[in-house]
Amino acid sequence: MVTSGIVLDLVERVGGAVAGSLVEVPAAATDADLIGRWCERAGHRLVAVEDGVARIRRGPFPDDAAVLASVPAERRPGARLWIYTNFDCNLACDYCCAKSSPKAERKAIGPELIERLVAEGADHGVTEVFLTGGEPFLLLDLDRIVHACVERAPTTLLTNGMLFRGRRLDMLKAMPREGLALQISLDSATPGLHDRHRGAGSWQRALDGIRTAVGEGFRVRVAATVAAGESGADEARAFHALLDEVGIDRDDQVIRPIAQRGFAEDGVALTVESLIPEVTVTADGVWWHPVAAEHEDQLVTRDLFPLGAAIEQVRRRFAEYRRESDTAAQRFTCA
Amino acid sequence: MDRPLLVGAVAYTPNVVPIWEGIRDYFAGGPAEMDFVLFSNYGRQVDALIDGTIDVAWNTNLAWVRTVLQTQGKCQALAMRDTDLKFRTVFAARAGSGFTGLADLRGRRVALGSRDSAQAAILPVQYLREAGLDDEDVELVRLDSDIGKHGDTGRSELDAIRVLLDEDADAVALGINTWDAIGADELMGDALEAFWTSPAYCHCNFTALDSLPPERYGLWVEQLLAMSWDEPEHRRIMELEGLERAWAKPDLARYASLFKAVEDQGISARW
Repeated sequence: MVTSGIVLDLVERVGGAVAGSLVEVPAAATDADLIGRWCERAGHRLVAVEDGVARIRRGPFPDDAAVLASVPAERRPGARLWIYTNFDCNLACDYCCAKSSPKAERKAIGPELIERLVAEGADHGVTEVFLTGGEPFLLLDLDRIVHACVERAPTTLLTNGMLFRGRRLDMLKAMPREGLALQISLDSATPGLHDRHRGAGSWQRALDGIRTAVGEGFRVRVAATVAAGESGADEARAFHALLDEVGIDRDDQVIRPIAQRGFAEDGVALTVESLIPEVTVTADGVWWHPVAAEHEDQLVTRDLFPLGAAIEQVRRRFAEYRRESDTAAQRFTCA
Repeated sequence: MDRPLLVGAVAYTPNVVPIWEGIRDYFAGGPAEMDFVLFSNYGRQVDALIDGTIDVAWNTNLAWVRTVLQTQGKCQALAMRDTDLKFRTVFAARAGSGFTGLADLRGRRVALGSRDSAQAAILPVQYLREAGLDDEDVELVRLDSDIGKHGDTGRSELDAIRVLLDEDADAVALGINTWDAIGADELMGDALEAFWTSPAYCHCNFTALDSLPPERYGLWVEQLLAMSWDEPEHRRIMELEGLERAWAKPDLARYASLFKAVEDQGISARW
């Protein structure tokens, strides 16, 4: 009779509690098995039975599909695939999250593997591809890479826009206009701020690159990476005025904060738990998010293939983190 | 555009808030937006439906019967849960009782839930009478723990089981939902056994007065019925609200037993 009574207490106390809350029910250690079976049957989670109390997290809990559905489709983990084509760069920006520079090892993935990656990605829900580096235009087979990606999904190519000359300009001209956007970095409306982070003369060359790409008929998105205090309203207004004049759509004028990763000493701290993942591939592995590629805390797997397994792992882990954070939010309510 | 359809529900558990916020969000931005009002008991909610404060009431079966009786039938049931179509009452006893049917309860004590619970009090009395057991043949032990909420909290039924386990009653009448919640077959098999289960009857429904024009509720009902268990966001709400898989159209014939019980037992049409 004693063991049956605990079930009635569970139904009354847990059943009457708010979904997601932690409920305490007086219980003997000998009831643990029965409590566990009741929780499993009713969709609750037994946390512990100790010191005469059973602690139970009240269900129902959203399954992985429900958690993922709560994120807008275009941001849903696995929808975006980032590929670091290479790590070397003609610039050495002081805030680069990938620690790229002319001295950085190239670590190129190569067109064959990238073709396989985007094909597998597309089969596992990837709807958008981002190519970044390093400076991708240092690669003389970039046009082949871009064509392979655009064939599978809309693709954005991130570049500093400073290398559109000679053979590389020819390569740019050979790239598809449909399904491809160029994202070029320009941090300010005047050279000072941009050049302070990226090197003297880089602002003018980037602006020239933007004009070239626009002139060639590409969709160009311009992204400004700014530190706290550098993104005042006056600066933002001047930035937009310049880009309006160049012919960049307002939706393609992006201002974003510096991430505290790579060379950056200050910035927004980003963790696996706080970031909505965007699966990222480098020559060395698959990572949680492009701002932290090559950072061990955000490594998903060293194996590039099968990419589908890595994407599924990222989705599962994200759902688990999101459930945990929702629970924590209920634990730490302040009022 | 018309003002949002205003739906009333009774706050029998704190989860009523996320349930109805979720349902309201489901309709938001669509052609049949709604809002909700929570009541502390079904009597107050039915009053609010009749005086026009709310357009639709999420009613128990007893609240439906009382609405029909108070409006002389000038009301309509719009929709219900799939689980409302097959509600049942279970009579259970301590394991090993040897009871095989309701007739075995002659001269015994039967624990019932709150007297305004159709599943755990009103219909059980009716089933006993239909089995030939009148008031003098059975001692009724009433546990009126959640009066006003028509047994929704399940608390009175749990109290009735405790009375049974304490051997202060020989049998208990429960809604099938409580029987399932305690996992009686699986988890309490050494203590309890069911010995009679009623035919299926209807439980809750969305009730409106018949003066509510179809253009006010038609699209809302259509959209409600379109809620999908396969959509994760919908499923969470449906799970909390106790659906099995889908909202359904009402089957009014399955309220007949309760109408008869209310009449035979002289239960008031109001409160």
